Amino acid sequence: MSAKVIVLSGYGLNSEEELLHAFEQSGVEGDIIHINDLIEKPDTLNAYNILAIPGGFSYGDDTGSGNAFAQKMKLALWDALKEFVARDTLTIGICNGCQILVNLGLVPALNEYGQRDVAVTYNASARYQCRWIDLAVKSSSPWLKDIKNLHIPVAHGEGRFMMEEDTLSTLKENDQVAARFVTPDGAEANGEFPHNPNGSADDIAAMTDKTGRILAIMPHPERGMFTWQRDDFHELKDAAQRDGVDLTDESDGLKIFKNAAAYFS
Amino acid sequence: MHTRIEILAHKDDGRAHQIEKTLFSMGIKACVRAVDVYSSASADAQKNSFAQSLANPVTQKVNQTPTDFDWALEIGFLPGVTDNVGHTTSELLKLSAQNDNDDADQECFSSRLYLIKGKAQRSDIEKLSAIISNKLIQRISIKSNDEYTRDGGMDVVIPKVVLEQNDVIADNVNLDIDDAALETLSKYGISNADGSKRGPLGLPLVYLKAIQAYFKKEGREATDIELETLAQTWSEHCKHTIFASPIDDIAKGLYKHYIQRATKEIRAARGEQDICVSVFSDNAGGIIFDDNYLITDKVETHNSPSALDPFGGAITGIVGVNRDCMGFGQGAKPVVNRYGFCLADPRKTPNYFRDAKCTDALLPPSNIMNGVIAGVEAGGNCSGIPTPSGFVYFDDRFAGKPLVFVGTIGLMPREINGKPAHEKCAQPGDKIVVAGGRVGADGIHGATFSSVALDEGSPATAVQIGDPITQKKMSDAIIKEIRDFGWYSAITDNGAGGLSSSVGEMAEGSGGFHLELETVPLKYPGLSPWEIWISESQERMTFSVPPENTDKLIAFFARRGVEATVIGTYTDSGRAKISWHDDVIMDLEMDFLHDGNPETPLTTTFTRGGESEPDLAEPDSYEDTMLTMLGRLNICSKEFIATQYDHNVQGTAVLGPLQGKGRVYGDVSVTRPALDSPKAVVLSQGLFPRYSDIDTAAMAAAGMDMAVRNAVAAGVDFSRLALLDNFCWCSSDEPERLGQLKRAVETIYNIAVKYQTPFISGKDSMFNDFKGYDENGQAIKISAPPTLLVSSIGIMPHTKHSISLAPKAAGDSVYILGETKDELGASEYYDELGHLGSNVPETDAHQNLRLYKLYARASRDCLISSALAVGYGGLGVTLAKKAIAGQFGLDIDLSGFELRSDKMLFSESTGRIVVTVAPKNKKAFEKNFKGFEQCHYIGSVSYSENLFIRDILTLNIKALDEAYKAPLRDY
Repeated sequence: MSAKVIVLSGYGLNSEEELLHAFEQSGVEGDIIHINDLIEKPDTLNAYNILAIPGGFSYGDDTGSGNAFAQKMKLALWDALKEFVARDTLTIGICNGCQILVNLGLVPALNEYGQRDVAVTYNASARYQCRWIDLAVKSSSPWLKDIKNLHIPVAHGEGRFMMEEDTLSTLKENDQVAARFVTPDGAEANGEFPHNPNGSADDIAAMTDKTGRILAIMPHPERGMFTWQRDDFHELKDAAQRDGVDLTDESDGLKIFKNAAAYFS
Repeated sequence: MHTRIEILAHKDDGRAHQIEKTLFSMGIKACVRAVDVYSSASADAQKNSFAQSLANPVTQKVNQTPTDFDWALEIGFLPGVTDNVGHTTSELLKLSAQNDNDDADQECFSSRLYLIKGKAQRSDIEKLSAIISNKLIQRISIKSNDEYTRDGGMDVVIPKVVLEQNDVIADNVNLDIDDAALETLSKYGISNADGSKRGPLGLPLVYLKAIQAYFKKEGREATDIELETLAQTWSEHCKHTIFASPIDDIAKGLYKHYIQRATKEIRAARGEQDICVSVFSDNAGGIIFDDNYLITDKVETHNSPSALDPFGGAITGIVGVNRDCMGFGQGAKPVVNRYGFCLADPRKTPNYFRDAKCTDALLPPSNIMNGVIAGVEAGGNCSGIPTPSGFVYFDDRFAGKPLVFVGTIGLMPREINGKPAHEKCAQPGDKIVVAGGRVGADGIHGATFSSVALDEGSPATAVQIGDPITQKKMSDAIIKEIRDFGWYSAITDNGAGGLSSSVGEMAEGSGGFHLELETVPLKYPGLSPWEIWISESQERMTFSVPPENTDKLIAFFARRGVEATVIGTYTDSGRAKISWHDDVIMDLEMDFLHDGNPETPLTTTFTRGGESEPDLAEPDSYEDTMLTMLGRLNICSKEFIATQYDHNVQGTAVLGPLQGKGRVYGDVSVTRPALDSPKAVVLSQGLFPRYSDIDTAAMAAAGMDMAVRNAVAAGVDFSRLALLDNFCWCSSDEPERLGQLKRAVETIYNIAVKYQTPFISGKDSMFNDFKGYDENGQAIKISAPPTLLVSSIGIMPHTKHSISLAPKAAGDSVYILGETKDELGASEYYDELGHLGSNVPETDAHQNLRLYKLYARASRDCLISSALAVGYGGLGVTLAKKAIAGQFGLDIDLSGFELRSDKMLFSESTGRIVVTVAPKNKKAFEKNFKGFEQCHYIGSVSYSENLFIRDILTLNIKALDEAYKAPLRDY
């Protein structure tokens, strides 16, 4: 089966169009499906091998970001979701999608799917943060194959991963910490604002389940897939013009979606 | 049995730390814990599984609230105030209980409890609560540890709305009364049975006399709902009577004679090159984006509600203008939000009161600032609309009424189902369908209230709080799905005046309507008919739907979690008719409703303001002066706002709010609204309120030029640029203020026609005055300076033409384009020195146009490496901002200019742009401007870390950076 993505929408999710665009740019066909339509027909998932939950503000972040949407999915779709992730499929949750995956207990799922092991909660600054950040990637997840660094933006009020000390140790042992905030020159962020924009434990920006097929990532690769989206676009454009070279269209974020396409080819 | 669930956050909660910070600023060291509280009267809420579903087991604890604190402070909402968290919790309860009981039974309410451990008195906690809450909409409960222990915890509060049911009828109102009685009726409103008043109608006597005559002719008494309807429809807010009325010798009024005429003349002159598609007739203005798409724009103000409840006012404003976008034509998709705030200095704490006894204080400026910023954040971010563009302007005369501007840009196909997408018309026989939120007592008298000055009588019910998620569900259903099914003939939003405006306006298409008011879904029972009709409850759109499509439309909305209801029929009866169960309670001629308000001719006077030019010595140290200027509120960085607003959502941001490595807060944004097109939308704005102290013509011209020039500097196609006007005036019943207005409007007509930039949409707010008392109980009036905000929207053919303000490489040449004159009147520099002056900048539109056309050619040829239009603080500030943005030094020599150094640096002459040019483009750039005498080479981007201006100053970039960023860093 060639790659086909289902991108969820509804109840305040809001990045579904650009997320589908990112997949399409990488050669993956797909559809945006409203969560209520999926709940009405859970079998719909059988036609897809990639599930993508986009960013947004499902239920306005009320009762904790991602919580209410996760509760809704758990009550109405849990069996279908378990079947989906048991197949050879890929799942990604970005920003609010990341918060939903964590609240569903699909990531990191240290013992079993469905148990919440970590929390993604209010930024240490108690402020929403929209800014470009740098990530160091070290993961065997198919989503992150051959990726070492990413320059992409964050945009969230609740992006701070929190967990017990031994949960963190287990995550590290299991190679489940997928990406960490670093300084622009690649040094550890050490929890320091603004490089670590939310105070996340151990500078964690993304994590996977044990198989690596489910990726929960707070920053937005789909908002950093083209060079013209970058915060340093004007500097890059100017430098290219001075050097008389063409500026490449593609930027860091797109690699993640291309990896998904490659996984099924 | 009522349930109260307490969810304790972990010790390191950022929200609790914010409270600790606030207490610390009051001199109190304390440890604070945050607890989210949910209350419900539902039996289902008692289940443990429900409580657990509200908590994250990793970081939160359910009902294990610690008792080692000194004070407990709980903040919840008053009955009837929108409680979004409570709303989501109710939905969760319904999901987990797996039943569909009526909303009212499953209702949940949210509040937040802070447990404070530290040496504080009750008065300190009261002071804290005043800083972090608003008593107009919130309830506060404070308990000492002893009280908490004695009572067994905090009280369980279920803030349900309970209205007396006996008033649910339409009352007749006797209008056969004398003029004095009519004026009393207008000022205080219709009397209830108990003698209390319903709030101002705000109708001038001549309108009331016309209404009196109408009902005499009809041979019956008016009903309350008829009077309320006329008050809404004829309000200054809805009818723009000041712009419509004959004024001096201008019979057609200012709007038709100047603003509309400018656009007409420009469109005619442009012919085939006309960019306008829909102007002034719809909820927004629309211009051509490309062969496939239209782009729409609308900028609104929400000043009066924001003065009372800054958060609620601002969020309601932004989600309201989003609906204007959704209500344009067949419905446009919101793709960019913009904002603008005019505020008083947040570091000052003036004491102003609404009452002479000094008990009802105005909110302090910092509360207003934080509130309006948070309101636009919540509204914009939750709706998934990027907010890359905005401004904040400070003047202490905005302490009484802040100005809150909110705008939304929309994208829509030029054709939908083979028909022009910007056209719509309600047809006789179509059903009236309302979708979205339900109706409550929110916002009653909003439209009439924003048309009068703010004083003690300002109604608290005018405050609404937007619910962006309810709106988002509705918006997605309409814009992303239903619109393209072609099921409705027309759509419009419910804003000021609620149904009375939306149904009333749409019925102009069909020629009448019959509404069955009892079918309108309500939040709670007990509302009177007139309240339902004019309520400004948010998140509602009104549709005109052919009868065969209503069932499928309503069913589709239901699948998306949106309630939609048929509430009546559009007719061609020529009557505006409302029934309530079996009684007809309103039956007015449509013509009288919409055009029955008599003309009220206006007369004006005008006197130029300002003192003579001050005789000032040159500063001793230009270094000190420059750093002071950079730290001025109107010049310093507003980065703390930019990073709170999601400017990247939708993946369309090209040039955002912060530019260059040094993150300078820019005045222009560039966005690619359609991911499959390299074309971009350029947005900017301009306003110079203080210039009105000398001459409103200079104020209007400078604002308009700035809006245009910022867009030009960023690389817009000058022939594809359109403008929006927002007049925020004061005391518009005084001839002198009207004279200032006339002068401003005449000025922008002249410049628009010169630049060939059409106006496509506008709005006005004419009474930005506060009438109250100072701390000694002395009556005062604070009037906002007459302010015109001009917003620009233009198209850039390709993002490769986008130009940011940051210099890109050392060795590049620096030029100033345009002439610097001795024009410091009302400037930031004079204000810093305590002077107003006289030489306010005059705008030479002819000369500016020459420059902009030449510049457009240079930017199209990619000859310009960076550009920044000169604004507040003049050339000196512009150079400093460029140095900060690029983190490059600059070597500048201004000795070729005759002006004295301080005037050269800080004059605010309009029509100027500072650019940097790469060595390889230098020749072509200079050739491009050959023959244009105001293209001046003034130095180069340097390898040093200093801004060096020969014989004037040398300042390290780090010092500039600190001066620019420090003032508002901690907000």
